[in-house]
Amino acid sequence: MGTPSREAPLTAANNIQPFFVLHKASAGASASISSPATSRARRRIEVSQPSSPNPKSAKRPRDDDDEADMEMYEQLRLEAFHCTWSKIQSTINEVLRGINLKLFDQVLRWVQESFSAIRSIMRPRPAEIQQPYPLLTDVICRKIPTAFVLTKNAEFVDDVTTFRDLMDHLESNGCHLAKLSATELSSKNGVGGCLRSLLRQLLSDVPDVADVSALASWYCKGDNYDQPIIIIIDDLEQCSGDVLGELLMTLSEWVIKIPIFFVMGIATTLDAPRKLLSSEALQRLDPCKLTLGSPSDRMNALVEAILVKPCAGFCISHEVAVFLRNYFFRHDGTITSFISALKLACSKHFSVEPLSFLCMGMLEEDSENFWRDKFGALPVAIQKQAFGLPSCTRENNSIKPGNNLVEGLSELMKLQKDWSSVLSCLYEAGRHGKVQLLDIFCEAINPDLHTQNDSNNELLSKPTSGNLSSGKSGAGRRCIAQALDTVRYMPMETLFRVLEVWSIHLEGMNEINAKVKELQSTTTSEDCVTITKDKWPRRSTNSTAIGTVPLNDKATMLLDDITRNFLVPVECLPFHEIICFKNVGVLQSALIGNPRRMVQLDLLKSQSRLNCSCCSRNGIAVSASLHDTSVMCNLAQEYGDVINLHDWYLSFDGIINSKGKSKLVGSPSKKKSKATPQQSGAMIQARFCRAVTELQITGLLRMPSKRRPDLVQRIAFGP
Amino acid sequence: MAPRGGHAAASSGSEDEEEEAEAGFSRSYFLAKEKETSSAKKRARAAAAVGKLSDLNLVDEQVLRASLAEIPPKHEKEVEALTRSYKDQYRNWLFELRCGFGLLMYGFGSKKLLLEDFASTTLTDFTVIVVNGYLPSINLKQVLATIAEMFWEQTKLKRKRHSGTRSQPSQNFASQSMDDIISFLNNQTSEDGVDGVCLLIHNIDGPALRDAESQQCLAQVSCCPQIHVVASVDHVNAPLLWDKKMVHTQFKWSWYHVPTFAPYKVECVFYPLILASGGHAQTTKTALVVLQSLTPNAQSVFRVLAEYQLANEKEEGMPVSSLYTKCRERFLVSSQVTLNSHLTEFKDHDLIKIKKHSDGQDCLHIPLVPDALGKLLQELA
Repeated sequence: MGTPSREAPLTAANNIQPFFVLHKASAGASASISSPATSRARRRIEVSQPSSPNPKSAKRPRDDDDEADMEMYEQLRLEAFHCTWSKIQSTINEVLRGINLKLFDQVLRWVQESFSAIRSIMRPRPAEIQQPYPLLTDVICRKIPTAFVLTKNAEFVDDVTTFRDLMDHLESNGCHLAKLSATELSSKNGVGGCLRSLLRQLLSDVPDVADVSALASWYCKGDNYDQPIIIIIDDLEQCSGDVLGELLMTLSEWVIKIPIFFVMGIATTLDAPRKLLSSEALQRLDPCKLTLGSPSDRMNALVEAILVKPCAGFCISHEVAVFLRNYFFRHDGTITSFISALKLACSKHFSVEPLSFLCMGMLEEDSENFWRDKFGALPVAIQKQAFGLPSCTRENNSIKPGNNLVEGLSELMKLQKDWSSVLSCLYEAGRHGKVQLLDIFCEAINPDLHTQNDSNNELLSKPTSGNLSSGKSGAGRRCIAQALDTVRYMPMETLFRVLEVWSIHLEGMNEINAKVKELQSTTTSEDCVTITKDKWPRRSTNSTAIGTVPLNDKATMLLDDITRNFLVPVECLPFHEIICFKNVGVLQSALIGNPRRMVQLDLLKSQSRLNCSCCSRNGIAVSASLHDTSVMCNLAQEYGDVINLHDWYLSFDGIINSKGKSKLVGSPSKKKSKATPQQSGAMIQARFCRAVTELQITGLLRMPSKRRPDLVQRIAFGP
Repeated sequence: MAPRGGHAAASSGSEDEEEEAEAGFSRSYFLAKEKETSSAKKRARAAAAVGKLSDLNLVDEQVLRASLAEIPPKHEKEVEALTRSYKDQYRNWLFELRCGFGLLMYGFGSKKLLLEDFASTTLTDFTVIVVNGYLPSINLKQVLATIAEMFWEQTKLKRKRHSGTRSQPSQNFASQSMDDIISFLNNQTSEDGVDGVCLLIHNIDGPALRDAESQQCLAQVSCCPQIHVVASVDHVNAPLLWDKKMVHTQFKWSWYHVPTFAPYKVECVFYPLILASGGHAQTTKTALVVLQSLTPNAQSVFRVLAEYQLANEKEEGMPVSSLYTKCRERFLVSSQVTLNSHLTEFKDHDLIKIKKHSDGQDCLHIPLVPDALGKLLQELA
């Protein structure tokens, strides 16, 4: 692969041109981009080669070989990422669409009803539609059917996908769809801009003059005629009321001829349209109110689909999960950001973990075969790397890693599946006690709690009901304890339903499922309870004293039993590093850039950022050897919100020249002081100017106003 | 009535005090390091009272600019080591870019060389277009039109090569609307034989790109299928430019903290030097240049106004009518029309400001401090 523009000079012209082409894509690139399949095939062939001693590799220098290898594995990891993420993304889409489907159907029904209502008033002929004057009808109908969808999201970003899905849904049912965003419905854009945007979305060629009549003539053509036009405004509150009002007034005149309906998303309360629109415009609406599911429902469904049942093999560690949970609940609260955080985690995983491409095997039908193939092709060095993973080398492993990666990964996959089944059962129970899935998930993947649990197990070989309810199994296992508790005090009918769901979740675990089936059979007839009782371990009698039905206890014990045995967090398993992303620090810094803090820290602690020995050596707070801007920033800390330039300059001057002075006075060796002569006034001033400008560029400083030319304003205080 | 009014006045006075106290409090909140909270305002006032820039022995702007070019670099070795350490991350950056994220670099120091080095060594598979966002003269539409033309050419070339069909008429993207260009870009896929384009935006938070419209436009471009974005920010409040939709669904930023401590050489050029133009020396100088280019009569009119202003510092300005009378007395103008033409000239060059006086008539005011004005008159003579 050639590097065409390494020679591209970074000349001054490049600095003052608004934009320029640095280089064009190299010739090889288009091939690899346009046809990834062929390049992959080519690389596959290369994969199998390194293991056998071939003459080709002998010819090439070793470094080249390594680099090519590296590149190839990088490519594999990239493919694995795309594969994994597209699986996750499609799962997400499916889940969200599934949740919203009820609403979508409601909207569709409303569209169809409104359309037939309008058509029942009159069915204009194409010629009539195109005539510029209003139709003569008995009924004066100028009301536009409008559906207000209450989204209940404070942040509108989550609704973007919802409305996109809604558009797809309506479009697939034959409606004409157009969307107007808040930027289009702004006073700057005006009604003309909105109409133009509508025409652009509906018509294939847009006339120069944006006019409703163009829409009318389009609507008369062929298939267009028999369907309504739906305009979606996903963020009503952000729109300009005047523009929207005017648009509504315009379109309402045409509503019989061109059936245009609106679907508007409202984030706040249902009186938002009343606040936004004039009463005149409001009268032109024929409203219908619909409500979207709550964000926490969606969150639970998503967590279940992506994290609890790792749909693509990729999973996250406890630390990352806790970070994501906090990010969702405290920082942001939108599903979109949660998903993008997860995607970033996923890309970081595949970018950093060398063996992560093996993750793809989880998606394959015959995983073992896939791994065997891949692993066999790996160079010995990388093979060794797999067994050097911390999870394989640590001593107190409850599950010992075999000497076979393929088996290890298969075992990992199986245990993961069990873990997910048990967690689903726990949640199914906890759900009735208002346990959130994300919370219980975070507990279930906590390796500390698991090891703690192990030691508990040894101490209390037979758990009694007493220690279950009092939560002795660890203070951190709040949600799991709560789930167990819920089962204990659950009414019969609910328990029966829960057991049914359990048996679905536990389908892969025959032995356990048999026990559930047994429990289920007991519930069918109350009498059986006494018969089957003896099969279960003896319990203390105090729980019957407080009035619970024995079956609840049995179910609780079963759940507790499987929790202990099968709820093994992924981080406790060998080879988990291959599929599990753990580096929460990396994720956090990539997700939440914090320039305000970091830039100030760069300046205040420049010596540690630069790793230099000269600045931190002497005990003086602000040393002259520091970066100039850093000196200035340190000096600025002593001021309030305004800084007197004159004083600031003098102290800067003092610091810069202090070195020379102190040496002149203090040390007898004048030789050295001569080596750093006093800086000239012009140079100090220039350095001062540049530092001020740099602080201004970083936004830490605002320039003096004309009224107070000697003062600058500090913007940020304390990192 | 009177006592109530008095009471009201007293209470409003105490309210003022309260407000003052509150302001002091809130300021002290922000000045966490400031120990004496109540004196913060006094201090600010005191700061204003003491040293002035004019007290310093400032060198001429030309000398200043000459010295600016010769500032010796500090920590060269360390800065170089730092930059080298980022080179190891290039592969990871590329990986993430290919995963569909935008890279956003921040941290103190110019990142221009770092990013261009990254682009020219690692992004060889992409066509890289550099946008110098720190320039005040950016025209995003031109940038987009260039990308669109590039795509267009490539598609045309490929179609020609594959099917031998006659080439389509070329499009003039420069004359199309921004929305058209973006929708064209949105429809480009790798099947069209289009190479990926990487948009390298230095200072996406630059002064000319700071408006909502530019950012919206960049956000839309960044989620076009064949376009990747690598950008840098320097301003600490840069994240405020974007809402959640832009961050999570369009730009898809992956942040990297890469302080370089490299001097902002090119980025600095468009900022005024604080010690050169901050004081009134500069304004006096420009005013002098303008005045010297005017007719002697006009200069004299200005002088009348300036002398009046120096004599009556407390007043809001000189009423136009009295200026006219004075000028007529000295045979400087013959009619209101001539005076007005002079005044228009002054106003166009920001030599004077017109204010409405409290009694309703227009007042003329020279926006210079008395010292500067005195100096200006001396030099004009």
